[in-house]
Amino acid sequence: MATSLLLACGLNEQKLPGFVHISEESNVDGSFLISCILGQRLRISNAGTLLVCLQNHYQHYFNAGMRLGYNSNIFLGKTLNVIDVLSDMARLGLTSKWLRSPDGLTLTEQLVKDIREQLEKNYPNRSSYTILIDNLSILINLGASKQQVQQFCLDLADLAKAHDNLTVITKLSNSDIHPLTDNNVAKLGNVRIQVLRLKSGVFRDVDGKLLIERVLDDEGSYSCEQTRKEVLYKVNDRNVKIYNPGEIGVKV
Amino acid sequence: MTSFRKRTVQKPIRGTRTSPHTGQVITSSGNPSLDLILGGGLPIGSICLIEEDRFMTHAKVLVKYFLAEGLLSKQELFLGSLDDSPAEMLRRLPKPLTDEEIEQEQRQEQEQQADKNGLRIAFRYNDLPLVNSEQATAKIGHHFNLMEHMDAMMLSYGNAITWNDKKTNELTNPGWLLDPIESMPYSYAQAVGSKADSEQSPPDAAAPEAAAVASPEAAVVAFPEAAAVASPEAAAAAGETEATPMEQSDGQKTASNINNNNNNNMDNSTANNTTSTTGTTTTTTPTASPSTGKPQFFYNARYDRLLNYIQLQLNDPIFEPGANMQEKNLCRVCLTSLGSPLWYDDHFAEDLLKFLTILRGSVRSYTAVCFITMPMHLIAKYDSSLVPKIRQLVDYAIELESFAGSERETHPAFKEYSGLLHLHKMTAINTLAVHMPETTDLAFKLRRKKFVIEKLHLPPDLQESTEQTAKGADVLPMPNCGVNSNVSMDF
Repeated sequence: MATSLLLACGLNEQKLPGFVHISEESNVDGSFLISCILGQRLRISNAGTLLVCLQNHYQHYFNAGMRLGYNSNIFLGKTLNVIDVLSDMARLGLTSKWLRSPDGLTLTEQLVKDIREQLEKNYPNRSSYTILIDNLSILINLGASKQQVQQFCLDLADLAKAHDNLTVITKLSNSDIHPLTDNNVAKLGNVRIQVLRLKSGVFRDVDGKLLIERVLDDEGSYSCEQTRKEVLYKVNDRNVKIYNPGEIGVKV
Repeated sequence: MTSFRKRTVQKPIRGTRTSPHTGQVITSSGNPSLDLILGGGLPIGSICLIEEDRFMTHAKVLVKYFLAEGLLSKQELFLGSLDDSPAEMLRRLPKPLTDEEIEQEQRQEQEQQADKNGLRIAFRYNDLPLVNSEQATAKIGHHFNLMEHMDAMMLSYGNAITWNDKKTNELTNPGWLLDPIESMPYSYAQAVGSKADSEQSPPDAAAPEAAAVASPEAAVVAFPEAAAVASPEAAAAAGETEATPMEQSDGQKTASNINNNNNNNMDNSTANNTTSTTGTTTTTTPTASPSTGKPQFFYNARYDRLLNYIQLQLNDPIFEPGANMQEKNLCRVCLTSLGSPLWYDDHFAEDLLKFLTILRGSVRSYTAVCFITMPMHLIAKYDSSLVPKIRQLVDYAIELESFAGSERETHPAFKEYSGLLHLHKMTAINTLAVHMPETTDLAFKLRRKKFVIEKLHLPPDLQESTEQTAKGADVLPMPNCGVNSNVSMDF
């Protein structure tokens, strides 16, 4: 369903890089990437996943997952844990802990605290653990400053360094509006995936472009070495297709 | 042990159906041509943003369609606006067409087209069906006549809560915002009390009270923020008064809704306080609690108040998504001219984004759809980076670019249309891929009786003339140094 996409992004392996950042341009929807990655992680036995829902509530990921051929509800509470900020805010309104900071913690600090708790509880029982955060721009919308968001990502990156087989995957929308935050967060990891719109306009057969940048940290290579790969994508009803640039075009 | 399991089929919510494209539950926006663009209708839990035209004419028409559809489908409405009078807006909803009228209208249109297209270029084209650029009608929803207003009796059957933040402007207490019931604003809490009284008292006694609330003045004074439409029975019980059914319902529905919404949350002291009121809203004592010193989430308290009202409305068990109950219903939240200059302050951008983020969560989590209109051309002037941020927080962003007052108004290419419709964003909600319309080159026209969205096409005579001028331009020598332009030189 989404194997080709994950293959192109280099995220189809059991062991993922420590920190992966997804940048999403304005007017582009990259939430399919989160659904694809989530499905891949859930299929690995004994791999734990923590989904932090900021942009969509959990039901969206469940429904999107069903389209991609996996049922996330089966894993819920077992290998999949969810922090559904959006639903909490809806249920509790302005009294929600995410909006009121009862312990004097800011929104991002509260989130880090909850993530740590989940990690301590679940990480020891799992062969690997993935934290998916969708998405950081909601934190900015809810009043978190750029510094706070950056500190939040730094804390997560530290977690990834401190724990083996722990991967943090973040997504930031409107990356063209928050270029500083986007670049700083991307620098924390080795893999950056940019979801870009087509500059030439709307095309029925292609939804957008993925620019995958990977810093080579293999032994013997310099950290400044990086690979860049560009692929076109099309999100269909039940799968995501990948095309190489030039593979698809207007047929006259 | 048998493997037989009784199949429980959930009863569909009124005015909704399952989309064959995405498998999602959708509801009509009220306008069939807009529904078609959206893939049959608005998915439950979605927010549709209409970016207003400069004169706010056409966005208001779409709002009327949205509200009228909700009223006709017996869905709950929430209408909030600072710029317009919500009660007035509800009174001017378009009249629904009967099946016969729809058929008659379609027949007339076909006849008109046949007259126009009677003469073909060649007789072989006579066998081809007529090209209708107007989008096909949707399977859900109703048809409305913009020329006439909805019947007052029909309005009385609806359930609507309106908000315009008149009275609460005077309140400086931010504490009530965080506690929905204890710190309810004056008129709102009174409404709870009046309803509680009317429920406890016999119908004969409740009738004059309802009638008292029903007078237009009383409605404005007592329910400046949350006026509502009551049940027809209550309106009937109130007897014949000078007030319209719409106004009659104002107080009572507010009360019933609040009562429904707040029963779970209401603490004893507040409940006692509110029920001890005398029933008529003008004589009760204020029940709003004093400031509790809790921090205010928004800089502009209006957002707190509006959000509180919306969440109070949505917290009703009938809007719980998983609830398997008889009275399951859909809530239509409509906010007009959100982000207009009346909302401006020093922290306008921050507050607006916060509000939209929380609203998104609320609408997604309940059986609700939201329709927002915003003067995006003004917001863009305030802060251009705000536009994509706002669009990111909604599911559908549709811009109405009106020709009124622009050069295009008299342009022959656009003489058939009132403006262009730009689809800026369509999001996949609870699914992977989003429905895309056949074309994104769309235009709208405001006819006498209806608002129509069509595929944009140039008139045939203009196509010829442009071709001719292009040919002519090729032949003519170009005096302006090779630049292919027909514009005269400045000198």
